[in-house]
Amino acid sequence: MASISGADVKHLVVACEAGMGSSVMVAKQLAKQLKDTNIQVTHTPVNQLADATFDVVLCHRGLSSRAKQAAPGAVVVIFDMFLGDFRIAQLVSDLKEGNEIVGD
Amino acid sequence: MANFIPAGDGGHTGWRAAVQKLGGNLAGMVIPNIGAFIAWGLLTALFIPTGWIPNEQLSSMVGPMIVNLLPILIGYTGGRLVHGQRGAVIAAVATVGVIVGTSIPMFLGAMIIGPLAAWVLKKIDSVLDPITPVGFEMLIGNFSLGIAGLLMAILGYLGIGPVVNSLSDVLGSGVQALIDTGLLPLASILVEPAKILFLNNAINHGVLAPIGVVQAEELGKSIMFMLETNPGPGLGILVAFWLAGPKILRGSAPGAIIIHFLGGIHEIYFPYVLLRPLVVLGAIAGGATGVAVFLATGVGLVATPSPGSIFAYLAVTPPGNHFGVLLGILLSAVVSFVVSFLILKASKAGDDDLAAAQAKSKAMKTGTAE
Repeated sequence: MASISGADVKHLVVACEAGMGSSVMVAKQLAKQLKDTNIQVTHTPVNQLADATFDVVLCHRGLSSRAKQAAPGAVVVIFDMFLGDFRIAQLVSDLKEGNEIVGD
Repeated sequence: MANFIPAGDGGHTGWRAAVQKLGGNLAGMVIPNIGAFIAWGLLTALFIPTGWIPNEQLSSMVGPMIVNLLPILIGYTGGRLVHGQRGAVIAAVATVGVIVGTSIPMFLGAMIIGPLAAWVLKKIDSVLDPITPVGFEMLIGNFSLGIAGLLMAILGYLGIGPVVNSLSDVLGSGVQALIDTGLLPLASILVEPAKILFLNNAINHGVLAPIGVVQAEELGKSIMFMLETNPGPGLGILVAFWLAGPKILRGSAPGAIIIHFLGGIHEIYFPYVLLRPLVVLGAIAGGATGVAVFLATGVGLVATPSPGSIFAYLAVTPPGNHFGVLLGILLSAVVSFVVSFLILKASKAGDDDLAAAQAKSKAMKTGTAE
């Protein structure tokens, strides 16, 4: 499984189908939670992941196989809920504390 | 874990990723252009003879926008996805070929010729680029695009346009048959489960909306825009989860209701259904109820409400259709709520699974299980 140290993450990208709806919403929430860090949070359509710059990809479980196809070898973190997801909460604390982040 | 999230990313989802990918490509050509669709939809709702403030001069923009502008934008965006700016330009040129070859809004044709033209140019570029002498890049680049664009436009005019035209006729009469026989609500049996699998954009923008615009151009409105976009079923489901869902999910439900119903981000309710898959029956029952009411009251929308928010719905509802539209949304929410509520009540015992699954998932993250 691909992994990266939370301290090395500079750029987090949230992928969704259109790159305009749910990913924007999640990216906004994350940017707020990570505003004390230097981590940049952006969003993209899942089929354009290959063209995006990122250290970690975040996407919903329903799109995760496409995310992995589009960005082979990337650290892909998978969440289930768009609000109050514990995997996202875990990711935020891993990023803040510089823990190892292992792709799902 | 196997039952925790049935829509997991395990080996059994290859077909789903493939269908999503195809649909995602179709939707990817449409969604970036939704703003233009809204401009056209509002123009239509306001100024056509049956609109809010009929105006002959201003309504003369309605036709050129739907017949020319929107297909060219779709083709352009499709080309850009395949081969960047050059792909976009040749796709726009080629799309004109399919547009003038027919009399209907050529969304499907644009979705075919746009990426195809860009793909052809990509192949041409990959041959010419290595052998282009220094200083001739611009000359060769411009003329290769120009000549290939001309040829693709001719191909679109003679080949693709007529084929897509007859395909649209078949699709259109199939849909009309479903409407005439009153069987259209059955579409929810396919649409609602597909939505939950994140095929929502593919179905709406890739399949239903292209049929809808042809109808809307003829009749001034179409029910096809409402099959996938109705926010009622999702609202019913989220309220049911709020009142009777697993405790861990109840807290986030009110926020999700606002984001779904007012903000129009339907994706937010899919995970709840994935956690309790039987609830999809509530979505189907609610969706079918909505379509039945829309059909019975004879209502339609002038354009795709995107995102599927109640506000977008109100904006693209033509005069005199508000009662049927709102009644359909309300009843679909009520039916979906009742069915989902009963299912959730009956499966109360599931709370423990969820907690166990969360514990397991936490264990996996810390590396104590895999």
